[in-house]
Amino acid sequence: MAAAVPYTTNRPNIKVVMQGQATQIIHAYRQAPWRVQRQWVGVFLLVVIGVAMVAALYLDVTARTAVTGREIQEMRLQITTIQRETADLETQLADLTSTAAMQSRALALGYRPVQPGELDYVAVPGFAQPEPAILLAAKDTSPETETLPAEYTQSLLEWFEDSIKFGGLP
Amino acid sequence: MRQQYAVRSMLVVAGLVLAVLAVIVQIIRIQTSEQAEVFLVQGDRYAGEFQMFYPERGEIYDRNGHLLAGNRTVYEVGVSLREMESPEAMASALSANLGLTFEEVYKKLTESPETWEYVVIQDYVAVDAAEKLKRLVEQLDNADDPRLSGLAFKPHLQRSYPENALASNILGFVTRDGRGYFGVEEKYNDLLAGNPVQIWVPRDPNKATEIPKVPNGTTLVLTINRDLQARVESILDQALSEYGAQNGTILVTNPRNGEILAMAATPRMDLNNYGNYFSLYDNGSQYNRTIGATYEPGSVLKVLTMAAALDAGTVTPETTLIDTGAIEVGGITIQNWNRDAWGQQNMTGCLQHSLNVCLAWISSQMGTQSFYGYMDRFGIGHPTGVDLSGEAPGRLKHPGDGDWYPVDLGTNAFGQGIAVTPLQMLMAASAIANEGKMATPHVLYSMLRDGHQYNVPSQYAGSPISAETAHTLNDMLAVSLEEESSMALLPGYRLAGKTGTAQIPTDYGYDGFHTNVSFVGWGPADDPQFMVYIWMEQPSTSIWASETAAPVFSKVAEQTVILLNIPPDVVRSQVTK
Repeated sequence: MAAAVPYTTNRPNIKVVMQGQATQIIHAYRQAPWRVQRQWVGVFLLVVIGVAMVAALYLDVTARTAVTGREIQEMRLQITTIQRETADLETQLADLTSTAAMQSRALALGYRPVQPGELDYVAVPGFAQPEPAILLAAKDTSPETETLPAEYTQSLLEWFEDSIKFGGLP
Repeated sequence: MRQQYAVRSMLVVAGLVLAVLAVIVQIIRIQTSEQAEVFLVQGDRYAGEFQMFYPERGEIYDRNGHLLAGNRTVYEVGVSLREMESPEAMASALSANLGLTFEEVYKKLTESPETWEYVVIQDYVAVDAAEKLKRLVEQLDNADDPRLSGLAFKPHLQRSYPENALASNILGFVTRDGRGYFGVEEKYNDLLAGNPVQIWVPRDPNKATEIPKVPNGTTLVLTINRDLQARVESILDQALSEYGAQNGTILVTNPRNGEILAMAATPRMDLNNYGNYFSLYDNGSQYNRTIGATYEPGSVLKVLTMAAALDAGTVTPETTLIDTGAIEVGGITIQNWNRDAWGQQNMTGCLQHSLNVCLAWISSQMGTQSFYGYMDRFGIGHPTGVDLSGEAPGRLKHPGDGDWYPVDLGTNAFGQGIAVTPLQMLMAASAIANEGKMATPHVLYSMLRDGHQYNVPSQYAGSPISAETAHTLNDMLAVSLEEESSMALLPGYRLAGKTGTAQIPTDYGYDGFHTNVSFVGWGPADDPQFMVYIWMEQPSTSIWASETAAPVFSKVAEQTVILLNIPPDVVRSQVTK
């Protein structure tokens, strides 16, 4: 009866090999520390680039908001000016068509007040005396503003805060 | 060597860290110090400003859309003191263009408190003057001349009345503080003025807030017909001149719904120069005499006495009376206007000849309870509720009042001892023209707000008499007018009405030389579409209403039928058929 022979191979022991490689790597880094530094620099640069991108985005949004805000202020001023000018023009028109002005213009054109005997009445079946008309020109012209969505008014931080509070994060 | 470098490096790092820490500590200290709160408050103060947004005052139109009260641009001219380069040049330019003295302007520019950054030189500057100054500033700017730098123009609106004095008694006026006085401007001041809104406006454009919605003041449309108002005012002015009367009023209304179509009174003032108020009026009641002034109406009140007696069944149109020229009431003898005895008269004759004796007899027959009950229901002694500021209630004495005497029952029946306003008399008489019903007189036709028109419904003011009584008396007054007051007639139209010549009470009894003349009338008699009331104070050419107020009524009726397109009775009956 033959004795059991353990399994053998010519390949080197893997444990020994790995220990050897690790030693070599450590040794290599000890020999070249710039490898570690480069990795740190890489990470740092990545963070810097990320922050810069967020900052640039924020600046861009802020700049656009500022420009739009200024435009809104200017438009508000324009609306006020136009409303004032409209009211002024209406009054000027009323000046030109006032009773006294129209009467003097009519007289200058050779007209005179009608006398009762000079009027002819014609019966028109179904005619009804018109009621005073709705004065369309006198409509309220003040601007109607709809509430702007929060996305257009809140800052990034406010949006973030709201999202945390109300659980609206995407 | 290497260790030395390490130590130095550590020292440098430690130094930098300490410096950074020191900066951080200092930042925190500053942020939390007591002074920081002051600076924060200051910062907040300059971060924006509270701005009051005043709505544009509502306009006032007549019933056909003619603007009676609008708004006009004017400027506030001021100087930004920090930017000002030459006070002398500024004062010179402003004084020359704004009608101010050089010293006045120079003093404002140089003696303002140091904390002031801006000083107002003049407000409510007309567009022409402001434009002239603007051109001057532009010329100097183009030439790089800074002598007028700092001059500022702030445009805003001011109330303006395109028709000047037309309907001034109805409209009232608005002072520079934006408050309405008299008439519609005062009565509807809150509606017209709207609601100012104050908001915080940040200077930071990032925080641009939404524009607050400041609705304009409510625009009002009146029942007034501008053209009729102009004609009636012209007729009144001519009448006062022709008959030598001191003052007068003319009212034209629609008896069906109480709409006031025209309301003329004297004196009137140019509403764009309301500073003249104190030179024209002694007190507020004179501003619109149709509602603010009371007087003894005289014989026009006989129509109410007759209406009450007919309605109570005390008399019928056929009831006769032997007029002996005098009647004793409460121990006092009452006589006719000419002290004559008119013999047998029916009730139409009593009105036709305006017999005091007859009407005093009627009220005596009715008794105090019935007579004063009817007068109350006609609204005598009560405000009509017209939507104009400054209405007087008048006065009707009642039995039991300290100054009531039994004779008042007789004299009140023909309009003595009673104080009424013209509008009160008109509303009371409108029951006769409108099937026994009275409508509250009003000037507001509709309101325009947020693009919508809200029409104002007529208000019912009571039915003092029945429709039958109204028809009967209407016919009696038409006959009476045809046979007595021919000067009030209008060819082609059957009208109804009554004159009133009233003595004027003084502290020593009635004035024997002067009278107040009145006329109340309406037409067409079979379908009343307009009603006119005339009152002239102390005419000098004649003391009789039949010779003064009656012809004025005819003229007003003539213009009214033309402007309201009311055809003659013949044409109207053809259309009806």
